[in-house]
Amino acid sequence: MLLQLRGIQKRFGGITALRSGDLDVPAGQVHLLMGENGAGKSTLMKIVAGMYSADAGEMLWNRQRVTFRKPADASAIGIAMVHQESLLASHLTVAENIFLGRAPSLGFGIVDRRRMIDQASRLIAEHGFPLQPDWRVERLSPAGKQLVEICRAIQHGSSLLIFDEPTSSLSEAETGEVFRIVRTLRDRGMGVIYITHRLDELRAVGERVTILRDGATVHSCAISDLPREELIRHMVGREVSAVYRRDPVPPGPVRLRVEGLSRSPLLKDISLSIRAGEIAGMAGLVGAGRTELCRCLFGLDPIDAGRVEVDGRGVRIRTPRDAVAAGVALVPEDRQRAGLARDLRVGHNMTIAHLDCVSRLGFVGADAEREVTSQFIRKLRIRTEGPQMLAGRLSGGNQQKLVIAKWLLRQARVFLFDEPTRGIDVGAKVEVFETMDELARSGAAVLMVSSELPELLQVADRILVMRQGRLVGELPGQTTQEAIMHLAAQEPAT
Amino acid sequence: MIQRLLPFLTLIVLFVGLSVGSPHFLTVNNLSSVVRQTAVFNIMALGMTMIIICGGIDLSVGSMLAMAGLLGTMAMSKGVAIPVGVFIGLLAGMACGFLNGFLTTRLKINPFIVTLGTLGILRGVALIVSNGLPVHDIPKSFSFLGEGVLLGVPFVLWILLVCAVIVHVILEHTKLGRYAFAIGSNPEAALYAGINVNFITTVIYTIGGMLTGLAGMIEASRLMTGQPTAGQGYELQAIAAVVIGGGSLRGGEGSVVGTLVGAFIMGLLANGSDLLGISPYVQQAIIGAVIILAVAVDELRKRRVGT
Repeated sequence: MLLQLRGIQKRFGGITALRSGDLDVPAGQVHLLMGENGAGKSTLMKIVAGMYSADAGEMLWNRQRVTFRKPADASAIGIAMVHQESLLASHLTVAENIFLGRAPSLGFGIVDRRRMIDQASRLIAEHGFPLQPDWRVERLSPAGKQLVEICRAIQHGSSLLIFDEPTSSLSEAETGEVFRIVRTLRDRGMGVIYITHRLDELRAVGERVTILRDGATVHSCAISDLPREELIRHMVGREVSAVYRRDPVPPGPVRLRVEGLSRSPLLKDISLSIRAGEIAGMAGLVGAGRTELCRCLFGLDPIDAGRVEVDGRGVRIRTPRDAVAAGVALVPEDRQRAGLARDLRVGHNMTIAHLDCVSRLGFVGADAEREVTSQFIRKLRIRTEGPQMLAGRLSGGNQQKLVIAKWLLRQARVFLFDEPTRGIDVGAKVEVFETMDELARSGAAVLMVSSELPELLQVADRILVMRQGRLVGELPGQTTQEAIMHLAAQEPAT
Repeated sequence: MIQRLLPFLTLIVLFVGLSVGSPHFLTVNNLSSVVRQTAVFNIMALGMTMIIICGGIDLSVGSMLAMAGLLGTMAMSKGVAIPVGVFIGLLAGMACGFLNGFLTTRLKINPFIVTLGTLGILRGVALIVSNGLPVHDIPKSFSFLGEGVLLGVPFVLWILLVCAVIVHVILEHTKLGRYAFAIGSNPEAALYAGINVNFITTVIYTIGGMLTGLAGMIEASRLMTGQPTAGQGYELQAIAAVVIGGGSLRGGEGSVVGTLVGAFIMGLLANGSDLLGISPYVQQAIIGAVIILAVAVDELRKRRVGT
């Protein structure tokens, strides 16, 4: 057995992140670690990688007890981690990053560049990675950066490699490439721990799965023994239907109408309309212009031509402020960066877009604010200690609900959701869908941009497809993934 | 909790220690002079608190203080009434603050660079308009602003208290203050929430400038001259007071009470070293060490709380 964890515990201040983490990983196995956001997966793995130290419990490495005080201790005995957010030196080259801290030396601290580049080239060629040793890391895609981290782990002679949700920011082709690499590493006798949310990745890559819930290991078995429904039950701790179905409501008047919207070179002559009560899905490949359309509609990027109407009135949206005033809300793809302020309280995040509703003459009424925020916390079932808690301490799903609450409070009528379920666990996903459904039922128009086709099919009343900056078609909600992909990927006739 | 109160405890320990250590400390005369000395950069530090909370910084406040004092006293020497002269000083400060805010937000330049530039520009302009000479012919009664006594307490202490209450209320109880915290915490999220980030930031810099203008008039009143060279190095004192009081240069954190405590800690350190006969050379080193220590303790506290 390569790695054994027994009863690992970890607290941060008053919060217990891990109550009892157990895990066994032999060499030559891909071991999946699953669980909802906040279940303790990342904390457990950061303890294994020496980034945190455990408060209690035992860690065995090749049956010897070990304790790590710093990440270098873990990497010295052969544990490496590929992080969700890249931890590379972005201004250095691929080769420099691979050898960071261990560069071959000519003595006197002078780096033997030639040997370093030779070794890096050999390593890259051996695995057939699409990299060059002299490329600067900042220019690489997220997938490329992960490859550099993998190279680094191999170069350092690691025998256990931890992947923290490696595919969450990758395209389908890149995901396949990561799977291929994981299998190669396994065949060379390495142990691999693979953290993921995505149920569909399960059988594609791993042999065994361990499930964490609320900071404790609840189940561990071979993947082939575990039906999908049971896996979800272990993760969520209650029965959840993995398949959400929305009952459409009869649509009302047109809320959002876009005519001939263009922005060179990304968006070309886009016209669409969404009615009150509707959830319109939007599909397309990465780079088709979906996020760019949302940015234009929300005033983050200027448009070259086109007309936007909200509730039948033409609006000029040149800044997010104009958009908010017109009743348009954006729930951005990257919550942490653009959706909320992590260091601000939950309550303050919620009222920030509409302080007028709790203020008089520029003064914020503390009582009124507390009342309205508590009300929305209850309404959206946001799991928090209260409006005083810092937003950064909420789980991903609850952060998403907080962003939605902010716009509900602002009484927005047009909601643009850009990848609303990214990084959110199964249980919370359904809750986000339910919230979107309630929004539509209360008369809002919803545009849902998503790369998760099964989710679009579950939630959307109809599906708009974009390709290369154009709106190329519209499909009914009961269409198939194949039909969507056919439209999204078709080469334009020449 | 103890760590959060640490600046406050430090202040008390300093106060008690100096009371015991020097017979000259706990006298009306000495305490008045500490208050008068501290008030000038304390008022500047209040403005700096708002700016730092909003994610900015203002390195130009020393030059701005000289500019405001100079223009205000020049107006008085030309025969303008004292309150009007003071108002001109405030206006000058506001204009300088607005310039900093405008340049930062419209040109999208880091405020550190912008205000490093205006630090030089404002000082240069002050020297040009005054020809490098201080303004002397000021009405005698102008000295009341900096040296007067009201209800047995230095007048500047009243000014400081009023400013502190106003800034506290702005930060904690108004929309403007809430926006400042939001912008400092995450400017992008603030933009996405429909906040007019450029406007709010500029307003904050302008208010900071007005407070610096007021500090400039108090300084001119204490010296009874308008000095184009006044206020050199004050920016670092003001920033230090904010930081010792728990403000973060990353934005989104800071408080009026913290800044007041920070400013008085620095004031007492200077005064105490004088009374105890510690050389000014050593003083500088002590104050530098206190700044690092204060921030180190604060970081430790945050690390323990955060996940």
